[in-house]
Amino acid sequence: MLITELKSKEILDSLTQGKVFIINCHGCKEVSFPEKEAEEFEKALGDKVTGILTTDYVCNIDNLPLRLEKHAAAIEAADTVLVLSCGVGVQTVAEHLPGKRVCAACDTYALPGHQGVTPLEHECDQCGQCYLNITGGTCPITACSKSLVNGQCGGAKNGMCEVDPTMECGWERIMRKLKQVDRLDVLKCPIQLRQYNK
Amino acid sequence: MENYTKYALKPAEQLRELLAQTDDIFVIACNKCFKEFTVLEEPELDAFLAVAKDMGKNVTGSARADFLCNKYIAQKKLPGLIPEGTKAVFVISCGLGIQTIADIVALPVFAASDSINYTGHHGMALTKKACDACAQCYLNITGGICPIVDCSKSLVNGQCGGAKDGKCEVSPDKDCAWEKIQQRLAAQGRLDELKAQAVQIRDYSKVSHKLVAEYVAKIRDLRFAGYYGGVHPSEHKEFSEGKELVTFPAPDIAVIPMAMHLGAPANPVVQVGDYVKVGQMIGEAAGFISAPVHASVSGKVIAIEDRPHANRGMCLSVVIENDGTDTLHESVVPHGTLEDLTPAEIIDIVKNAGIVGMGGAGFPTYVKLMPNKPIEYVLLNGCECEPYLTADHQLLLHYADDVIFGLRAMMKTVDAPKGVIVIEDNKHDAIKLMQEKVAAYDNIEVCVARTKYPQGAEKMLIKRVTGRMVPSGALPADVGCVVGNVSTTKAIADAIKTGMPLTSRITSVTGEYIKNPGNFLVRIGTPAASLVEYCGGITDETATVKAGGPMMGFVQNGLEAPIMKGSNGIIAINTDPSREVACIKCGRCVDVCPMELKPLWFAKYADTENWEGMKAQNVMDCMECRCCEYICSSKIPLVAKIKAGKNAVRGMK
Repeated sequence: MLITELKSKEILDSLTQGKVFIINCHGCKEVSFPEKEAEEFEKALGDKVTGILTTDYVCNIDNLPLRLEKHAAAIEAADTVLVLSCGVGVQTVAEHLPGKRVCAACDTYALPGHQGVTPLEHECDQCGQCYLNITGGTCPITACSKSLVNGQCGGAKNGMCEVDPTMECGWERIMRKLKQVDRLDVLKCPIQLRQYNK
Repeated sequence: MENYTKYALKPAEQLRELLAQTDDIFVIACNKCFKEFTVLEEPELDAFLAVAKDMGKNVTGSARADFLCNKYIAQKKLPGLIPEGTKAVFVISCGLGIQTIADIVALPVFAASDSINYTGHHGMALTKKACDACAQCYLNITGGICPIVDCSKSLVNGQCGGAKDGKCEVSPDKDCAWEKIQQRLAAQGRLDELKAQAVQIRDYSKVSHKLVAEYVAKIRDLRFAGYYGGVHPSEHKEFSEGKELVTFPAPDIAVIPMAMHLGAPANPVVQVGDYVKVGQMIGEAAGFISAPVHASVSGKVIAIEDRPHANRGMCLSVVIENDGTDTLHESVVPHGTLEDLTPAEIIDIVKNAGIVGMGGAGFPTYVKLMPNKPIEYVLLNGCECEPYLTADHQLLLHYADDVIFGLRAMMKTVDAPKGVIVIEDNKHDAIKLMQEKVAAYDNIEVCVARTKYPQGAEKMLIKRVTGRMVPSGALPADVGCVVGNVSTTKAIADAIKTGMPLTSRITSVTGEYIKNPGNFLVRIGTPAASLVEYCGGITDETATVKAGGPMMGFVQNGLEAPIMKGSNGIIAINTDPSREVACIKCGRCVDVCPMELKPLWFAKYADTENWEGMKAQNVMDCMECRCCEYICSSKIPLVAKIKAGKNAVRGMK
């Protein structure tokens, strides 16, 4: 699941030197689109703006051309097409307008969970070799900063990760869960190797 | 179309190893997401069951689920499904579903599948584009080609030097991303930009656990606020929000439809040539669920015929030529004080005044005032959660005392000890005013609700204020509530205090394509065209015109329809030219459905006219709020399909 944040003012200023056409993608607004910040930024650009398209799912290649049709002249008049969306949307627009300077006004962050508009409390990294059977259902790839698959690194302090002290140690969580379902002996399994070529 | 299926069943020998450890198992399989919705039941469950059977294992039961990682729904449905005596649960899904189930059940949980590895996110449409969400978008310096995803080594400062004939040295079937970047920038004459760039350093600390955890908490809090689901469309109230209420002149010709409510249309009781007065009944109720209709102007009836209607196409209407005298009908006399009136008398007044739900649904209000269960709360919907509309907001500001009077009348009628006026937090002035006004009453309070659509819907309002869930097929009264709209309540106050039946209302004329948006106190039967004309007209001929708000309003092909009892607005908004494409099971409709339904199945079943399937998926619980259609990444007209399903299911009985 993706969310977007507006880039810094300095970067935005450097991107908007000439005339600009703006595409706001509200597809992920339900997740988080910086609507207010975007509006302020766009207002401040004044007559540099040749047009604005506010829509959703810019990444939908079937519908993007239909939506841009009405704005053809405004896009033509712009030096830069500035896209406020995740990286997928920017790339879709760039490919659709190959001759145009297409720029990203946002940075994209990943939140846990693949589907839907509500981020999840768990994450799956699609490692292709599910370890959940030996961990009582807590993922060592995403719950451990180091993605260790054979137990704790030893660096945890008071149950918190040494890499990111705001995060609980994944392997302590795994221990707790296994104790709870009385399956601690599954940890006596052979040493696990992660196959990155999977 | 791409297929982003995220799991595959583990090989049989691995399943055997896992199964050897346990017995008496329950199996849950996720129906897979992010793939074209062609297969209804995925084959992995049967394949797994065959292995278990072969090993002589006792399977206590199995279940299939959509979007298993949706913990809220899984938590509600799952525990009841697992029989006593089950010793372990096997889950066939990606890692998200397995972790979710491991959280919910106290039994050992086994993964019967492996997730399928792929790199990068793909956005909401099933496209090949990928984004790794690096939090430091490089697309500005690369002509829109992603060096993180498209370069095998995710290099951000140019080519590694290993490419041969434009192909990557890591994966020779892949184009070198930096050659593509170079070519695109050259074609755009932007190579100098690239050369002028400072050395790029990727900052891996940008995506910290803290940042992610805070976003997750914030968004989940917003999404689950008050009730499951719902959406947050752009409010767009700014067009008409600050516009002072204008009393719109009575029309020269009033066209008053006989159907402005749910249930049977009223029967005209006047004839062409009759002289009618303001407040005179011109159509009588034609049944229990029906409502009478009154003249909003005085003058001669010049026609009784079918005329355009905002949501019925054509409708029998009484057409009155206004004589401009506003002569009141003799029946329009005050009914006395609230203290002197009995509940039965109030019900009669509301019934005879033709008062119906003015939020748009048009359910006859007097029926709501005769609940067959004890009532604890009368809830007033002052949310106006529809984007653009500001009619109820204006009503609260101008008729606060009448709203409270009407609420007290309702509370007296249904013998409710508590009254709550719910207002969304985007109407600060109305909240402040109402809080001051209700201070005088111990049994009335103002509830400030965080904005979320469709908060104003009865069941959502009840859940938000009382925490009670109205069961499937049940009514608000079943959980001790009566819900009314603030405009309706004001109409009740008018009917009691002045005797005037429902002959006028406040409506917003707004949207980006209305020249001068505004809010108007307008007589029922006023042509929409004259209001729009007063507002300077519609500035773009491609605009979509709707009677009502953008979510639940009805698309109009012209402006011939008149203002009716439920007309809370006329809007002219942007038209989205996009077309319906195939469902990709993104699951967003399930995430937003406030009734906790699975709208993707309605689309699937409507296309094959599988009405039994529709019924089994509880289509009758749908209130057509349009959240699913709003969020649909494939632009599927879900509400039309749901309506077809509901009609067919009604026909089955």
